[in-house]
Amino acid sequence: MTEFTPTRDEIVLLARHAGLDLPPAYFDELVDAYANVRRMAARLPHNRPRGDEPAHVFTPTKFLPVRS
Amino acid sequence: MASDTLSTTDLTSLGIAELAPLLRDRVISPVEVTEAQLDRIARLDNRLHSFIAVTAEPARIAARKAEAEIAAGSYRGPFHGIPFALKDIVDAEGVPTTAHSRLMPDTPAAADAPVAKRLKEAGGILLGKLATFEFALGGPSFDLPFPAALNPWNTDYLPGGSSSGSGAAVAARFVPAAIGTDTGGSVRWPAAVCGIVGLKPTYGLLSRRGVQPNTFSLDHCGPMTRTVRDCALMLQACAGHDPFDPGSADAAIPDYAAALTGDIRGMRIGWVRGFYAGHASDEVTQAVDTAVEGLRALGAEIVEIDLGPLADYCDCKTLISMSELFAIHKPDLQTRPEKFGAKLRQRVIGGAFIRGEDYIQAQRWRTELARGILASFANVDALVTAGWLTTADSAAPGSPDMFRKWLNVTMPFSLAGIPAMSVPCGFGEHGLPISLQIAAAPFAETTVLRIGDAYQRATDWQSHAPILS
Repeated sequence: MTEFTPTRDEIVLLARHAGLDLPPAYFDELVDAYANVRRMAARLPHNRPRGDEPAHVFTPTKFLPVRS
Repeated sequence: MASDTLSTTDLTSLGIAELAPLLRDRVISPVEVTEAQLDRIARLDNRLHSFIAVTAEPARIAARKAEAEIAAGSYRGPFHGIPFALKDIVDAEGVPTTAHSRLMPDTPAAADAPVAKRLKEAGGILLGKLATFEFALGGPSFDLPFPAALNPWNTDYLPGGSSSGSGAAVAARFVPAAIGTDTGGSVRWPAAVCGIVGLKPTYGLLSRRGVQPNTFSLDHCGPMTRTVRDCALMLQACAGHDPFDPGSADAAIPDYAAALTGDIRGMRIGWVRGFYAGHASDEVTQAVDTAVEGLRALGAEIVEIDLGPLADYCDCKTLISMSELFAIHKPDLQTRPEKFGAKLRQRVIGGAFIRGEDYIQAQRWRTELARGILASFANVDALVTAGWLTTADSAAPGSPDMFRKWLNVTMPFSLAGIPAMSVPCGFGEHGLPISLQIAAAPFAETTVLRIGDAYQRATDWQSHAPILS
């Protein structure tokens, strides 16, 4: 699959899609951040066994109200 | 009382372990120690900017109270009468928490964070709040409401971060002890480049409540001191379960100082040379290699261990953090981006481009990477590597942003949630400190401290002091 290399306008649109609608003064920072993040994300291992657990454990008792 | 023989300078040069018996035996008073530290801060911190706020009057009140308690025979223990300071993302009752940022209100915190409360209950005397990278991430920034802290060993250089003020203030003898926070290395990095000791404990050993978050699953508070023994004493005073912090561990708290036997004969230590060899500067590589040989000479068995590419840990940690940081800061980013320092904004903004799947895959990667590290403890008692890959960075504005260039040698142990500590092991060019890092299995702080203490007994790096006057 060819890597998606978005244009500057598309990066701004992607940020907007994530709920971040910034003034044009910050567009350079968005473009720079996009390249940095996607470089790291591209290194993420994929194709894990379905049951591979993330490093999240939810312990319900941790969220019980605490009696003082 | 005191001080016919101890000058003000002498008092500020003493650590917790040296001050404690003098305070207990009323050779000196907490008032004298506090005044000596306040005087040194007033005279010299205009060069370092390590403090954001000095709470002199409340400190004097606390010192007089401690003096009266000790005089009345109610000595609380080794932290009684000891001055300390907090990184300014940690709440202290009655003092605004600035996070070194324009984004925070200037209203005083309503209550102490538990880590601060425990230190006060142990008799500690809070001297103030310390500089930080903005929200423990964005720095060093020169566009913030407070100046960036500088390195006391050479003020042309930075003290690392994000606990920048904590590193600088302890190294400068402004306080014998400070609290930092560490998400990916923010206790250990400033400790390493300021020539002090910094411990990131096991995840959950110290409460995170009342502390501005960076990354929920990676945030730790940690003690920063000038010696390992002081670190053990401070950890004793602030460790413990907090039922209101869901990340807090309900673990037994051992006697940390009792573990400092000075004897590491027969311990098996995994040498993770691959984390720094080829990545670190030559002077760091040489100093850390020499320190490891020193541990061998003390009777430890050194076994070289490969834990894979350092870059994997850095990418995994950074993706997790950026996602969580974006979730935390997005409302402000959307409504008032101009209030952010440029570095915080630039580091948070990328979280918009991390997909839900990326975040989960990064968390699965964390499991794999952490398991790799934890598996090594089947064969060794501890791991050692560099405390940081370079000496301190230049303070010149416009210097390269280390968050983009870096491989970060502290992040592997952050992902694994295990105790890891920086200990001074030399000096490099420009008189800047170099550090060894020691890590061990979850809740094996005693092992980390024991090795670090044995190393400090055999060396004298901790006795060097920066010259500020």
